[in-house]
Amino acid sequence: MKRKLFSRVIPALLTVAMLLTSAYATSYQSTDVAIGSSNQVTMVGEIAPTIMSVTMPSYVPFNIARSIEGENKVVSPRITMVNKSSVPVTLDVVYTSVDLSRLQGTSWSNNGQSISDNQIAIGFQLETIANQAPTSLAGTKWLQANVEQKLNITSMGAFGSSTMYVVGALGNAVPENTTFTVTPTFVVSLVQ
Amino acid sequence: MENVQTGNVRPARPASPRPEKPKKKSGKLLILLILLLLLIAVGIGAVIYLLLRDSDGLEMDDNARVGILPGIDLDQRRAELQQELDESMISFSINTSPVFENGGAAGNLMLENPGNNAKLLVVEIYADDTGELLYKSKAIPTGSYIETARLDKVLGPGEYAATAYFNAYREDDQSYIGQTGAAIKITVLS
Repeated sequence: MKRKLFSRVIPALLTVAMLLTSAYATSYQSTDVAIGSSNQVTMVGEIAPTIMSVTMPSYVPFNIARSIEGENKVVSPRITMVNKSSVPVTLDVVYTSVDLSRLQGTSWSNNGQSISDNQIAIGFQLETIANQAPTSLAGTKWLQANVEQKLNITSMGAFGSSTMYVVGALGNAVPENTTFTVTPTFVVSLVQ
Repeated sequence: MENVQTGNVRPARPASPRPEKPKKKSGKLLILLILLLLLIAVGIGAVIYLLLRDSDGLEMDDNARVGILPGIDLDQRRAELQQELDESMISFSINTSPVFENGGAAGNLMLENPGNNAKLLVVEIYADDTGELLYKSKAIPTGSYIETARLDKVLGPGEYAATAYFNAYREDDQSYIGQTGAAIKITVLS
């Protein structure tokens, strides 16, 4: 008797439970996101401009004297340029204004390693030994006077820096105790 | 009858023994004494100077300056040059590819004169191919920026290679220090 009751009640209960579960599942799916679909989301992309942030000289003072030992006759400050951008940059001299009018009979040379007695040559050299000004002229990038040029001085990586010195040569017949001006124009640009 | 007076009550002035005259006399005497001593000191100094000048001692050159001859101490000269250079250093920021909706619209130049610069900046932008001045700012104070600006010359649609020159001026007397440049590409959309 008990076994008969058990065998009839249990299937009935299971059937009811199954029907209730499927009914709930139907109602749940009808009010929420259907499986296999998605809501529309608009994604707005803004291209950030490339900002170049640098620190570099606007004027480079230096002294030149024949009495200085070594090939390099220039007393130069230590010129450190800093790239504060997240992009690599390169530094060029695009023009150098030279005024030798106070130096009678003196001319400019585009290469200081072969100058005559009445010539002057000025250029830049990157620092190779920390905090030590160069004494030789090897590896100098020479400035050309009063003509447009694109003389690459150095390149700096993202958030990098570079240090250089003014170097130069002075012919034996160039008068001393006078001044002359050399004004290079630096232009920084993104590395292509 | 009592002599009655009206008005403010003033404290009775004590009878003065009048000691001023002797004090004045002693003051004058003191001044005279000091002057006399000064004259004596000057006289002694003059005598010593004349004696030294007439003797075989060396006379000091009035043209001599105290200090090290300029140019002799290279380290000192280098330090002076370093100071000059540090003053000339320019920090700046600029958008390398500003975009303008059209030739007359403002574009995102994004020029900055950072707070650590301690100098005024005037920015000039020249077209590389023609050398024409496209934009010139007024002085940008330290610690400020120009985000957008219109060009002074209306450009047609296209891309233009240009160079922005940052001219530095001292804050105190607004005298010119120097300039440095940055290569940029200007885009005008329509």
